[in-house]
Amino acid sequence: MAKPIAHVKSFDWLTLVLYLSLVAIGGLMIYAAEYKVDDSGIFHFTWSSAIGKQIMWTAISLAVFVVTYFIDSKFWSTFAYPIYFIAMVLLVLVLLVGSTIKGSTSWFSFFGFSFQPAEFGKVGAALALASYLSYHKTSLKVTKHILISCAIFFFPAMLILLQPDAGSALVFMSFFIIMFREGLSPYLYLIMFCLIGLFLGSLVIPIFSVFLILLLIANAFLITLLKDNSTPILLTFGAVLIVSLIALFTNLAFELLIVNILIFIAFGGMLLRQGKFKPLFIIIPTLLFAGGLAFSSLYMFENVLEPHQQDRINVWLRPNLSDPQGSLYNVRQSKLAIVSGGLKGKGFLNGTLTKLNYVPEQSTDFIFSTIGEEQGLLGAFGIIVIFVLLMLRITVIAERSRLPFGRIFSYGVAGILFFHFFINIGMTMGLVPVIGIPLPFISKGGTSLLAFSILIAIILRLDSQRFSL
Amino acid sequence: MEKTIYIRATIIISAIILLLKVAQLQLFDSRTRTSAQAAALSKQVQYPSRGLMFDRNGNLLVYNDALYDILVVYNNVNPAIDTALFCKLLEIDQDTYIKRLNRDWRNPQFSKNVEFVFLSKVSSKIYGRFQEHLFEFPGFRARLRNVRGYQFPGAAHVLGFINEVDQSFLDNHPDEYESGDFTGITGLENSYEKELRGAKGYKYILKDNLGREVGPYEEGRLDSSAVPGYDLITTLDIDLQMYAEQLMKNKIGGIVGIEPSSGEILCMQSSPSWDPNDLTIHKYRTERFEELLKDTLDPFFDRTVMAQYPPGSIFKMVVGLIALQEEVTHPNQFISCNGTYHNTKRDIRKCRNHPAPYNMSIALQYSCNSYFFELFKNVVDKYGYNQAERGLDNFHNYLKNFGFGATLSLDHFNEKPGFIPDSRFYSKTHPNLRSPNIVSLGIGQGELQMTNLQMANLAAILANRGSFITPHLLKSFRDAPQKLSEKATSKRSVRIAEHHFIPIIAGMQEVVNSGTGRSAKIDGIQVCGKTGTVENSHGKDHSVFLAFAPVENPQIALAVYVENSGGGSRYAAPIAGLLIEKYLNKTISISKEPLEQRLLETNLLPSVTAP
Repeated sequence: MAKPIAHVKSFDWLTLVLYLSLVAIGGLMIYAAEYKVDDSGIFHFTWSSAIGKQIMWTAISLAVFVVTYFIDSKFWSTFAYPIYFIAMVLLVLVLLVGSTIKGSTSWFSFFGFSFQPAEFGKVGAALALASYLSYHKTSLKVTKHILISCAIFFFPAMLILLQPDAGSALVFMSFFIIMFREGLSPYLYLIMFCLIGLFLGSLVIPIFSVFLILLLIANAFLITLLKDNSTPILLTFGAVLIVSLIALFTNLAFELLIVNILIFIAFGGMLLRQGKFKPLFIIIPTLLFAGGLAFSSLYMFENVLEPHQQDRINVWLRPNLSDPQGSLYNVRQSKLAIVSGGLKGKGFLNGTLTKLNYVPEQSTDFIFSTIGEEQGLLGAFGIIVIFVLLMLRITVIAERSRLPFGRIFSYGVAGILFFHFFINIGMTMGLVPVIGIPLPFISKGGTSLLAFSILIAIILRLDSQRFSL
Repeated sequence: MEKTIYIRATIIISAIILLLKVAQLQLFDSRTRTSAQAAALSKQVQYPSRGLMFDRNGNLLVYNDALYDILVVYNNVNPAIDTALFCKLLEIDQDTYIKRLNRDWRNPQFSKNVEFVFLSKVSSKIYGRFQEHLFEFPGFRARLRNVRGYQFPGAAHVLGFINEVDQSFLDNHPDEYESGDFTGITGLENSYEKELRGAKGYKYILKDNLGREVGPYEEGRLDSSAVPGYDLITTLDIDLQMYAEQLMKNKIGGIVGIEPSSGEILCMQSSPSWDPNDLTIHKYRTERFEELLKDTLDPFFDRTVMAQYPPGSIFKMVVGLIALQEEVTHPNQFISCNGTYHNTKRDIRKCRNHPAPYNMSIALQYSCNSYFFELFKNVVDKYGYNQAERGLDNFHNYLKNFGFGATLSLDHFNEKPGFIPDSRFYSKTHPNLRSPNIVSLGIGQGELQMTNLQMANLAAILANRGSFITPHLLKSFRDAPQKLSEKATSKRSVRIAEHHFIPIIAGMQEVVNSGTGRSAKIDGIQVCGKTGTVENSHGKDHSVFLAFAPVENPQIALAVYVENSGGGSRYAAPIAGLLIEKYLNKTISISKEPLEQRLLETNLLPSVTAP
């Protein structure tokens, strides 16, 4: 164990302050979200009430935070796999003996407390991934190693998907941020984003318009390959490009599509005459694959995704198809609450929509709407700024880490935090689809707070030893 | 390190996107802000009580009767309630219960958490029974609505009725009314809607997501209580009005009685009429309404202000007065009459056989046609025989001063103006107008048309010797700051010198004392009157009587018009006499009781509709 004096010197106080302020704000916001109009006057406090439980969970989390901090830093790198293993066992066990709440078998219940092993899956996966990637023989240029790394976090994600809890499972995708930092090719990310964009785009805009856009990109690509891209050819294509872009907003897309196919054939023919075969062998299959994906995306959307998942995408991208009293309800009510806050907010415990239960799940997933309504734009800005500072601080800690384990683990935590932060706040405003994950440190839910406390404590511990090796 | 920058940039850019979205929502989305308030706030309407109506002596005429709307919040209804009892209490069947409770929930307009009207217009009798069991039916509540009740079964046309506003009305009054509100449709209810209706109050109540009330909004600082409408005091004398109704029972026509000194309408009766309680808002209203609409005698047609009749002989006073004022005659002029009047060589008009009209009074007493044909010709030909147009227009201007040819009342929206011809009117039919062409006007026939109200006003003008105050039905609003309009208080002169009325009124006295209107005579009260018999090409003549009494300091002036009843002396004059006696003496003398009995029993309705 390091000497206490070393801790004080190397301890990152800023992270602790940011962490504690988020926990404190969380406590107040949960109190506000749970506070109801008929509680006016004396608040009837009991330990079994939502507030009582949250106070106990906060106390436990802080205690565990301190205990975790004083565990030797080598413990984590040494026991990363056993911890991962235990977490996976818990995830399997919960499927067998867990209690089902709202259709998901995600909880162990005892003594009136509920415990969600998925949150510890994140801790386990972050440790295991850090351990594996920090191993000196591991290289993300090697396909096998890439697959093993992915398996480390896909496995718990799959188990969680079986509960089913798609939101918590999706959080594991944040580990791709570590993979990026540790050398996975950026082109893979580019292709992934293009495919996701193509899939979602095909849901929103007419299929002919998608084809038209793909062909325009292909034609633009071909023209760069032509040896003598003379002025008449450029002008012709330029004109077609402009007309096609305008056509995207009219119903002439089909006619323009034919024109663009003819241009594609013409350019292709010219390339062949110039003796360039190879680009065509790449472009044509890619075009066909992209077209096929666009064509089948609607089919996949309707047949692969669960109805409630379709609803959430619809609420996000096609709100006019959604039932305002049904799937659109949560987001609509949440947005109403945020809007009603205005610049300064209505004040602590004065949010009428909050007090009157207008926003479903408000103390958990939609806690941000309480902040928006009662604390207004200033409060919302404050929360976002604290989160950004915390995440940036963790990247600083990561980069100054001497050991790859500390760096990778810290990026893992930053990634998880970022995913929760962006998705959760984004969904309360309809910016991203509703994915039921909590806002770290703020949302009600003991396991989440406990797991994030452990993650931060481990980071601080690993960081505190940066001078001692 | 390059990758670190990408990661940090991603974090910062994402945060900026979130910040911009929060700012957009909280600072610039005013449309959603409005609905944010609506989501948590419920605005409850407090209906004001409509102003009551009283007669001139303080008798209550129109009051408010309770009627209830049964409201429900779907989600608060216990599905296990005893629906059989519920339906029995409200007198509906099970199908109605199910149909009314289940709305189209897919329509976002409805919500299972929002209160809606389950059953409207429940009478206080049914509600009384239902109320005792209301606690057994959670989710249901009653809202009180005021509808009209009437103390007397009369004055239906004057008082008017109220009805629920329809869509076209709402379109025309977008800010003032909401669906489900009542508004005055006819009569005083319509004319003084603004004063009677009062102002609705609003209570802002916070509701939770289940539609439960959790308390007042902002401690009730924005709440307003309903302001009751002003009570309206009419000029009517309800005893006189009801007596007029009785006398006009089974007869067609109108009676208007005016207090000459004030222009206040004492009674205004159009017959046939209906009991106003029949058209108050209740379950059977529609049927009764249809019945009245189908009635061939058209009870909704207000014969006091909408029917335009030729005035007949009562117009002779007007001709006499204008002739005197124009100095084309003098009170003692003698015009010979042998029972006929030679208008032109070929046009010979009938007159009755009567004593010779030595002066104007005698001519009036016996209603000599020849005399007034001649006076009228003198007026029209004042500027020369070939200048009849000028003479007629001069005559026309006098008539305008009398309030003829234009709407008169201050309280009616459906009043007809009547008609008085001028030279332009004849320019097509008579390019060279000569007095013989239009001589019928001299005895109140021809193209002349007047309403019953204008005739009563003529009686008031005669009683006042040359002036009148525009007749009106509104005496005042109780506790209201506003005064009556200037029109209802200012005197209008007909521009005829007072001394010209002396021979006219003398003649009218003789009409009652020993002329055609003897049946209007009252012991101890000098009544002045004039009968009229209006030729009716469609059937029996109309009977008209114009009167005021007493001769000095007149208290009442009235015109009685009875359609298809024959001469003015038969029905109109005795009815007028009884009304005057009732008003001035409060009772009918024993000697008149047989006459009263006969009139009450007379049925002049066309035989088809007679019972």
